[in-house]
Amino acid sequence: MGEEELFERPKIFSIKTQIGKERNVAELLKGRVKKTGDKNILSILVTPELRGYVFVEAYKADEVKKMIKAISYVRGMLEGNIPVEEMEKFLTPASSVEKITEGDIVEMIAGPFKGEMAKVTHIDASKEEITVELFDSVVPIPITVKGDQVRVVRKREEG
Amino acid sequence: MKTMYACKVCHIITDKDKCPICGAPTSKKWKGYVVIFDPTRSLIAQKMSVTKAGEYALRVR
Repeated sequence: MGEEELFERPKIFSIKTQIGKERNVAELLKGRVKKTGDKNILSILVTPELRGYVFVEAYKADEVKKMIKAISYVRGMLEGNIPVEEMEKFLTPASSVEKITEGDIVEMIAGPFKGEMAKVTHIDASKEEITVELFDSVVPIPITVKGDQVRVVRKREEG
Repeated sequence: MKTMYACKVCHIITDKDKCPICGAPTSKKWKGYVVIFDPTRSLIAQKMSVTKAGEYALRVR
């Protein structure tokens, strides 16, 4: 470790990757860091909110660039860096049911009821599941689905 | 590919159904992936209150 690093704050560098291969890139980079015993890279971060990017906490951009050379699925490194404070919000990813409230009208975007409209009757925040009643069914049967399988179409009207 | 689990308390990623560090139950429903190499110098490790190098999940259900 160089003397200047002792007083320097680490920065976050963004690596562009093929979408869906973020974890593969992180694991390949992890293997490379361990193999070379690199002291420049301090951590690697993959957040579900930012697809197509892997973030590396390090001191020197040049050394990160050298490290990611020839790693599969890497599409390059963005110029500049992000202050660590800006990454804080990504360290606690938002729950998929956070923006849904009981009474909302949702559209099913996955699963066997894809494309159907439904009304939210119950929310289980700990399991990130919601219970809905489909509009088009003759008998209103409650169906429990994952929060990421629906898209809010209309919020519940207040009052 | 082997199913990986994350500790519900300390978020460390493991292949066991019990956390090797704190002994808490693990879950296979987790999101986000962080590799900490140097917890003493890493600011992300400090923000996540991580003191041990390793792989961690950001969110565990």
